[in-house]
Amino acid sequence: MENIIEVSGLAKLFANQSALKDVSFQVKKGETFGFLGPSGSGKTTTIKILTAQLAQTDGTALVFGVPASKLKEAGYRKKIGVLTDNSGLYARLTVHDNLKLYCDLYDVPHTRIDEVLDMVNLKDAKKKAISKLSKGMLQRITLARAFLHKPELLFLDEPTSALDPVNSKHIYKGLESLKEQGTTIFLTTHDMNEAEILCDRVAFLNDGVIQLLDTPKALRQKFADHTLTVELADGSKEIIDRGPEGAEAMYNYMKESKVVSIYSNEPTLGDIFVEVTGRKLS
Amino acid sequence: MTFSIKRSIAILQKDYKDVSKNLFVGSSIFMPLVLAALYGRLGVESINEFYMIFNMTFCLVAAYVQCSLIAEEKEKNTLRGLMLSPASTVEILAGKSLLSFIATVLVIAFAAFLIEYKPENILVISIALILSTVFYIGLGTVLGLVTKSVMEASVVILPFMAIFSFGSFLTVFAEKYPILKVAEYMPNSQLIILASEVQIGASLADIWFNLLVILAWVAVIYILVVIVYRKRMMD
Ligand SMILES: Nc1ncnc2c1ncn2[C@@H]1O[C@H](COP(=O)(O)OP(=O)(O)OP(=O)(O)O)[C@@H](O)[C@H]1O
Ligand SMILES: [Mg+2]
Repeated sequence: MENIIEVSGLAKLFANQSALKDVSFQVKKGETFGFLGPSGSGKTTTIKILTAQLAQTDGTALVFGVPASKLKEAGYRKKIGVLTDNSGLYARLTVHDNLKLYCDLYDVPHTRIDEVLDMVNLKDAKKKAISKLSKGMLQRITLARAFLHKPELLFLDEPTSALDPVNSKHIYKGLESLKEQGTTIFLTTHDMNEAEILCDRVAFLNDGVIQLLDTPKALRQKFADHTLTVELADGSKEIIDRGPEGAEAMYNYMKESKVVSIYSNEPTLGDIFVEVTGRKLS
Repeated sequence: MTFSIKRSIAILQKDYKDVSKNLFVGSSIFMPLVLAALYGRLGVESINEFYMIFNMTFCLVAAYVQCSLIAEEKEKNTLRGLMLSPASTVEILAGKSLLSFIATVLVIAFAAFLIEYKPENILVISIALILSTVFYIGLGTVLGLVTKSVMEASVVILPFMAIFSFGSFLTVFAEKYPILKVAEYMPNSQLIILASEVQIGASLADIWFNLLVILAWVAVIYILVVIVYRKRMMD
């Protein structure tokens, strides 16, 4: 499968502090790639390098096969959508006027405005001034603006950090449909549940390097301790091995009709994150 | 890189809507008109006084509006979105310059009507006024590129207002202090000299030198725009 992003040996030095030391990864066409890491680990910095907003100190970053720094041409800009943390919307203008400007800049018909507002569940806010919107609404408008032009590659830097669960779900549905249309998504998030729902593969960035990179399922299996927890009728919980040693214990519990429920002790992405980075999520 | 007039127009439309909702910047467009209305009622008739209003328009509309349009994009973080879009910096600046240009021309025309200024040679005066507008938009662009917020822009513009709106009065003292002769070569002074000559019957052949001086200022300011742009946009 074709690689949309190819990063190798990427390093970034700010003044005297290194944000990225040696980062390498590839993002395949059509996949949703989760870029996870503690606060300050360099996720936003990586997105900035990949979107030609920042130059790297060392290493190569190819997007669509060309160095990221060369992406300033209109033709490439039309293939890329970016959502960053600070909204960048015109406060005095309405939602509609903000999106209309971007329709014109990207050569997109104005009818697209209603479509994207529907995707972020904000059709009613069309005539409202940006300055009158809540934080979560702003984030959704910024998101709508990011995929207004149906980009082939979408960078999302914490797209749901200000959203309630209902609206997050709505956004997930929207992102799923973009994915079905073949959009490649590069996503950073602090929400491990979100990463699990959306991402085909995730990378854990820590101390300037990628410490893990795989599908969420493979990571869970890799970090699983191969035990089951059995909740018994008397309210106690027993941890038993999934192997042959556990079989007899389980057989006995079941024979005596003592089993209330069984859980698999697979770690969540959050557990793996804490284990790998040795730090709490912020 | 190709230049898209469509994208420039889109930015112009956006800025027009934005400025019309911005009391602070929007009101500076009307200030010269208020003064012009006042002058009109007082029956002011000298070229010096007419051109004080015009030079004020250049500073408040051409330079200041241009400067604050650029500064605000940086202050509110909206420039980033534009830079990530297909719009190039040249297209963005062109859109803003077009708005400042149209606003300046309209205000000058309306102010001239209010003060009942009737130039003897409308063609020459039009050329001189348009050249001046282009110069002040360049000045506003330079200041907009170096300032980071509308507040900062409003402060930075003040000394330029003092020099370019009222600086022409310095030439009055030039007899006594020869150093002030330099003020005669300022674009605002040149414009007044040119307009005074035209009013007493001068033709293009008589005032070509003044036009050339203003043109030289235009060249200098746009070279400065390019230099500052290259330095500032490297972030
Ligand atoms: N312009 C800058 N100048 C100096 N240092 C910077 C700059 N931008 C980022 N940094 C530093 O680089 C490091 C990585 O920052 P970055 O914003 O990429 O982190 P992040 O992973 O996106 O964090 P978060 O999850 O909080 O958004 C931080 O230590 C930050 O202080
Ligand atoms: Mg970040």
